[in-house]
Amino acid sequence: MIVTKNWLNEWIDLSAVSTQQLLKTFNAIGLEVDRHDVINVPQGVVIGFVESCEKHPDADKLNVCQVNVGTDVRQIVCGASNVRAGIYVAVATVGAQLPGGLIIKEAKLRGMDSYGMICSSKEIGLPSMGEGIMILDASIGLLESGKELSAYPIFNDDIIEIELTANRGDCLSIHGVARDLSAAFNKELRESTQKLEQEGRLGIGRILQLQHAETYDVELLFGAVEIKELSVPFLITLRMAILEENSLSIMDTLLKYATHSTGVVLRAYPFGMLEETGTGKSVMTLSHDENGYAALYGKEKLSIVGVSQREEGRFLANSGLAIIEASYISPDIIAKKMGETKVVSCPHYYHTSRGSEPELEMGIRYVMRLFEKYTQSAIYGGNLEVQSSSETRVVTMDEGEFESFIGMKIDKTTLTQILKNLGMGISKPKASTFAISVPRFRHDILNKQDIIEEIVRMVGIDNIPSKALVFTEKNQNTDDLETYRKIRTFRQRCAQSGFFESVHFVFNERSLCERFGFECTQKEMELLNPITATFDTLRPTLMLGLLNSASANGKVNQKKIALFESGMVFDTNRIESKRLAFIISGGSMGEKLSNAGKAPVIDLATFAQRISDIIGSFEMSAYTPIHTLAHPYMCARIIINGAEAGELFRVHPSIEAEFDLSPTFMCEVKMDALPYGLVQAQPFSKFQASFRDLSLLVPKSLQYEEIKAIIVKHASVEIQRFYPVDRYVSDALGDNVSLSIRFVVQSMEKTLEEEEITVAMESILKGLNEELGVGLR
Amino acid sequence: MEEWYNAIKSADSIDKIEEIRIAVFGKKGIMNAEFARMKDVPNEEKGAFAKELNIHKEGLNALLVDRKLFLAMEHLNASMKGEAIDVSLYSPVSERGSLHPVMETMDRIVEYFVAMNFSVQTGPMVEDDFHNFEALNLPKYHPARDMQDTFYFKDAKLLRTHTSPVQIRTMMSTKPPIRMIAPGSVFRRDYDLTHTPMFHQVEGLVVEEEGKVSFANLKFILEDFLKTMFGDINVRFRPSFFPFTEPSAEVDISCIFCGGSGCRVCSKTGWLEVLGCGIVDPNVFKAVGYENVSGYAFGLGVERFAMLIHRIGDLRSLFEGDVRLLEQFR
Repeated sequence: MIVTKNWLNEWIDLSAVSTQQLLKTFNAIGLEVDRHDVINVPQGVVIGFVESCEKHPDADKLNVCQVNVGTDVRQIVCGASNVRAGIYVAVATVGAQLPGGLIIKEAKLRGMDSYGMICSSKEIGLPSMGEGIMILDASIGLLESGKELSAYPIFNDDIIEIELTANRGDCLSIHGVARDLSAAFNKELRESTQKLEQEGRLGIGRILQLQHAETYDVELLFGAVEIKELSVPFLITLRMAILEENSLSIMDTLLKYATHSTGVVLRAYPFGMLEETGTGKSVMTLSHDENGYAALYGKEKLSIVGVSQREEGRFLANSGLAIIEASYISPDIIAKKMGETKVVSCPHYYHTSRGSEPELEMGIRYVMRLFEKYTQSAIYGGNLEVQSSSETRVVTMDEGEFESFIGMKIDKTTLTQILKNLGMGISKPKASTFAISVPRFRHDILNKQDIIEEIVRMVGIDNIPSKALVFTEKNQNTDDLETYRKIRTFRQRCAQSGFFESVHFVFNERSLCERFGFECTQKEMELLNPITATFDTLRPTLMLGLLNSASANGKVNQKKIALFESGMVFDTNRIESKRLAFIISGGSMGEKLSNAGKAPVIDLATFAQRISDIIGSFEMSAYTPIHTLAHPYMCARIIINGAEAGELFRVHPSIEAEFDLSPTFMCEVKMDALPYGLVQAQPFSKFQASFRDLSLLVPKSLQYEEIKAIIVKHASVEIQRFYPVDRYVSDALGDNVSLSIRFVVQSMEKTLEEEEITVAMESILKGLNEELGVGLR
Repeated sequence: MEEWYNAIKSADSIDKIEEIRIAVFGKKGIMNAEFARMKDVPNEEKGAFAKELNIHKEGLNALLVDRKLFLAMEHLNASMKGEAIDVSLYSPVSERGSLHPVMETMDRIVEYFVAMNFSVQTGPMVEDDFHNFEALNLPKYHPARDMQDTFYFKDAKLLRTHTSPVQIRTMMSTKPPIRMIAPGSVFRRDYDLTHTPMFHQVEGLVVEEEGKVSFANLKFILEDFLKTMFGDINVRFRPSFFPFTEPSAEVDISCIFCGGSGCRVCSKTGWLEVLGCGIVDPNVFKAVGYENVSGYAFGLGVERFAMLIHRIGDLRSLFEGDVRLLEQFR
């Protein structure tokens, strides 16, 4: 909503209010100031009267004008196509400095002297008002040649754009904003109640008849005017330019101006479009249309009330008999109707749906005055109206409620004054009770808290004290908090272990996911209105986001990329689960002196070690994933405490190539499968541990996990743990490899004798030999 | 004897010292030889002879130990010198990773409210119309429900547009009093320089019995919170409108870039909008079946906080996983 200080001043006296005070007040009462521009026509730009205008002898496009600037008549050469004799114009006199920095000097244009410049609106810092120079008229005040433009209020103004919240349709007009200011400043609006002079006018009833069968939830008021030579005065043209409304027809410009001024939704219909009855009267019919909207009909359908107007029903001429309509529909009703049956709407609908001004007579009166003041039009007397029943809304409040909601005591006199200033009616059925009747233009005020909001706005939130709430203490350690802490712990470990946290949108590209073998949200439950084709499904994995980020980093020459993400993924039924995923691409550490500038490239063992620094020890077993991201021979299932927890793999070389990546490893685990919580200490042996290595000759194709299973099966209680320590491959060994496994042997009760250790080891060897045919090298 | 003293003093290696020790104190050393001469010394001189010999024994021994220690120290020094390192070559560059600035900001916000005895609540991202809109006093045809703003699914579910549905779920599953925050990702169908289709919010809700919670209480906690997050700033409340609160306010902090004098970031206003808040609208309580209660609610965008606190200029850079940005937060 754009207002100017002068425009507001037509409704409320702001002469004693500084612009800064005005801006501050707007913010304080909830009309947020979005923009403030100053209109300030420079000194030396004066009113000039073009006494004569002749073609330049040596230039087709130039005119030589004799311009009266009060003190004298000056010759000015002007290139505008719309300059002519007999008009008032803005003249930048010699010495004036224009907003662009141009200083006006005496000049010779194609041999003709020129003492000044006839200006367009933009040249003197006003909004664009179309091609050519500004042609002034008396709408700005008495035109006196030589008078500084800046001496006229309209050229000395503040443009203020207010960001209105959705509930404040009542402030979608200069009048509405002034009304809110009048409450804030505790100052009455200017009187504007004088009725249009009715005497000597032809009554509207002589030419127009209104028909309607049922009752409708709309209110309408009609006036009639015989339009003659419709034109838009300078003042309105300038203000419409401020609103950036430059391309409307003349009638629409005047109606829009009146709507912006009063808040009343206004339309004009050509009388010829109404149905003739043969009695000299024409008929307009209000009826429900095919969609159930209240619509107006003449010879055919003219408009949907408050929503749209058919092209044929619009008054586009500059003269002729016009019917002017003011309408009001409760925004709740029209928004609901529009939600049920959407129809094409015109700009008026914005006003209607936000809550336009219900004081229709004011709107009609305002626009009729414009016709009368600025044109030769003749207005018909009286109005025709359609009314709907509406009850005044009353909110009853106890005095104490104001204090309990706001947290400070406000005295009765102040409360009463604020409410009255806002147009509310107040009666006091009981000593401590207020019965507050809400004016119709405040359709947003429904309950006590709406009334409280009005008080809070006018008192100013900054004037409310801050008070700590006294509350009942409560154990707030919810499961959600515990989960949050768990995730935070793992995230912190990731960061400590050299991974950067990244955050990706939960959207993925469905075709890409499917290409890689991931199952996405099932079709019937898929996103209806994705924002781009690359974000058209919910992510089934965190890995694609990480892969894309790693790729982007690689393209800017990052040699060591280690990222993680903690977040939700979605299954085919859109069920969420928490995951933690990692990627390392390229170097496993930074390039530095200690590695002679050649950081070792990440490998499976290093990657797995880095992951276990974060999630703890885990076992890996051979695995064929559902997706195709993985290198088929470097891919593991992660097992924690016997349960599957996720996967770890090298990225498939062809995908590495596709994403421009160096060797890359990824891992994704389920957050729920990660161990977290309090540790239970286990008893440990106080006796010495012994170490024994077994070097086995095993077939290359035999997986370690099979050997491991056999060892576990045959290990005595004294075998504390065992782990592979060397793997030796040689041509001499043929299809076998030599695998050395180190055993830690220890008893809870005593230091073991050599013999006892030997027995334990032999039992394992025997098992391996019998079940796998594996023996010592 | 004197020559041995000189020999020890001039010994220049541990080996040499050892040689001397053997020559003096060894089995066949001169000391034993001297003592062996004792038997030839007349009895009355034996005392003086032994005394003098013992003085030399002690003297030589002390000198030997000293010299040996000295030489050992010299040797160590020499070997350490050989290990000399140009420490300036090895100033380490941390290889630690980092938490994402948005997530770290979210952590700080959560910590503040946990310390103020708020509970942390979460809820699903895929929501239904009732929890995301209807119960929050966003009636069916409210402009905020336009297709433009909300991601819908084919089965009429939607991606939550705020974390407020978590408040509805919490109210419906527990009884007042309630003191909670709901941190999480939210989704709006908007993608340009200043909007991303996903961002993060923390919303808060306090519900107590009727008449206990006032606007003054809301001011207190938000002023305290914003000062905790941003330091020494001024806080301003502007009346505003949200469907789920009444009265509603937007909260500004004095611009942390210019201190309030007006700059590009604050559009010359001196203020930065950071929060929305208000007294819970009675229709919200009605929707969850609460009676005779009062409460306040607030909500904030975590990205906005993170960008202001860490002076990050580009919103979209937060979702690109760019190491050049992330490594600054080590």
